[in-house]
Amino acid sequence: MSFAERMLKIDRRIIFLIIGLCTLLPLLYPVGLPIKISQEVRSVYDYIESLPEESVFLLSLDFDPASKPELHPQAIALLRHAFRKNLRVIVMTLWVSGTGMADQVVSQVAHEMGKASGEGYVFLGWSPGAGSVIINMGQDLYTTFPTDYYGKPTKNLAVLKGVQNLRDVNYAVSLAAGNPGVEAWYLYGKDKYKFELGGGCTGVIAPGLYPLLRSGQINGLIGGLRGAAEYESLINQKGRAIAGMDAQSVTHVAIIVLVMMCNVFYLSMRKASQQQGQARL
Amino acid sequence: MIFLRRQMPLLITLVTGLIFAAQYYVPHPASEQLLTSVTKWLQIIGGFALVLGVSSLFHVHAVKIRRKEAGWGYSVVLYVGMFITIVAGLGYSFNLGQWVSGKEQINGAMTTFGWIYSYMMVPLQGTMFAILAFFIASAAYRSFRARSREAAVLLVAAVIVMMGRVPLGEYVLPLSGDVSQWILNVLNASVRRAILIGVSLGVVALSFKIIFGLERSYLGGGKE
Repeated sequence: MSFAERMLKIDRRIIFLIIGLCTLLPLLYPVGLPIKISQEVRSVYDYIESLPEESVFLLSLDFDPASKPELHPQAIALLRHAFRKNLRVIVMTLWVSGTGMADQVVSQVAHEMGKASGEGYVFLGWSPGAGSVIINMGQDLYTTFPTDYYGKPTKNLAVLKGVQNLRDVNYAVSLAAGNPGVEAWYLYGKDKYKFELGGGCTGVIAPGLYPLLRSGQINGLIGGLRGAAEYESLINQKGRAIAGMDAQSVTHVAIIVLVMMCNVFYLSMRKASQQQGQARL
Repeated sequence: MIFLRRQMPLLITLVTGLIFAAQYYVPHPASEQLLTSVTKWLQIIGGFALVLGVSSLFHVHAVKIRRKEAGWGYSVVLYVGMFITIVAGLGYSFNLGQWVSGKEQINGAMTTFGWIYSYMMVPLQGTMFAILAFFIASAAYRSFRARSREAAVLLVAAVIVMMGRVPLGEYVLPLSGDVSQWILNVLNASVRRAILIGVSLGVVALSFKIIFGLERSYLGGGKE
C-alpha cells in the first residue's frame, strides 16, 4: 500500500483528535483576531439603534438546546442591545423544547440590565401551532397569549401598553435553527402585518435565508457564531461568540488543510494509476 | 357513509380552501374575525396533534417491548424517561407548594422538571450536535474530492466560503471575506431563489389540486 493510500485510509480517530485539539487549544489560549463586521449584521444593529426609546421589539427564540452554542450568544447580544436602548421587549418561542432556555436567557440578561418582568420585558413562552401562533398574534396578541410564561395576565402588563397585535411591533427578530423560524415569521407575520423583520440563524441554514435578505424580506441576518461575534463587537460587549471565534477559525483551517491533503493524495494516486495503465498498454 | 368519508371532506376542503384563499385579500373586519377564529382552531388542533404524537410514540415502543424486538431495552429507557418527565412536568411540587405546570422555574427556584431540562436535555442535545463537527471533518476528509470538474468547483467555493467566514481565514487570505460574501449574496441567493420559485409554484399547483379534489391522497385509503 502506497503512502497516499495509507493516508487516505487514515484512522478517523486521528481526525477526531486533530479537530478536538483545534477546538480546545484556542479556547484555552485565545488570540483574539479582529472580526470584520458584515453588512447584514450591521443592518440589524443599525435598525435597533435607530428605534426610539419605548419602541416595541419582539424577539422570537426559535431554537432548541442543540443550537445553543450559536444562537444563545446572538440572543444575549440582541437582548443587551435592546435593554440598553430601553426598548420594550417581547420574548417568545415557537419551539417547545426551547422554552426553558429562552426563559433562562431572558431572565439572566434582564437581571443583568436591571429590567423587571412585565415592565421592561415580557416572556410569553410557547404556544402550539407555529404559523397559526404568528397569525393569531397578528390578529390579537392577548387571545394568543392571555397570560405570560409566569401566569400573569398579559392585558395588564405595562410593557404591552398600546400593543394590540403584531402591527404595533416596531421590529421583530427571529433567531432560528430551522422551521418554524425566520421564513414562518416572514410568511405569516411581516407579509400581512407589515412590521420590520430581521433574522438570526445557525451557520448551516444561513445560505438558505440569503434570498429573503437580498429581496428585502428581512432587513438583516445574523449568521451563526460569526454573526453573534460581529454583534458582540458592535455592542462592545465581548461574550462567548467572540471567545469561540478563535476555535472556529482554527477548526475551519484544519478542515481545509485536511481536505487539501486528501485531494493531493487522491490526485497523486489517480496519476499513479493512470501511469500504470499507460505502461501496461 | 361514503358521503361522509369522501364527498364531505372534499366539500369542506373546497369551501374552506376558496374562502381562505380569498380572505387574504379582504381586509374587512368580518374577514379578519374569521381568520382569528380559524387560526385559534388550528392552534387547538396543534395541541391535540402533540397528544396524538406522544400516544403514538408510546404505542410503537410498547409493541417493541412486548415483542422483545432488537433494542427493546432502549424503549424501556424511553418509557421510564418519558414517565418521569411527564410526572415532573405536570405534578405537584411539595417543595414549592404549587403545581409545576411545565415550568422550569417557579419564583426563581428550579423545579425537578427544570433540573431534567437543564442538566439532562440541554447537555445531551448539545453533545449530539457537537459530535457532528467531528463527523463532518472526518467525512470531508474521506469524500470531498475533486473527482470531476463540477466537484472541483464545489471544492474551491467551499474552501473560499469556509475561509471567508472566520477571522483567521480573512487574515490569511484577505480577499476571502469579500469573495465569500459575493458567493453567498449572488451565486447562492440566485440559485436558492430559483429553487424557491419552483417550489412555490409547485405548492400553488398542488393546493389547487387539493382544493378542487383532484389530489385526494390526504383522505387516506380505508374501506369505501
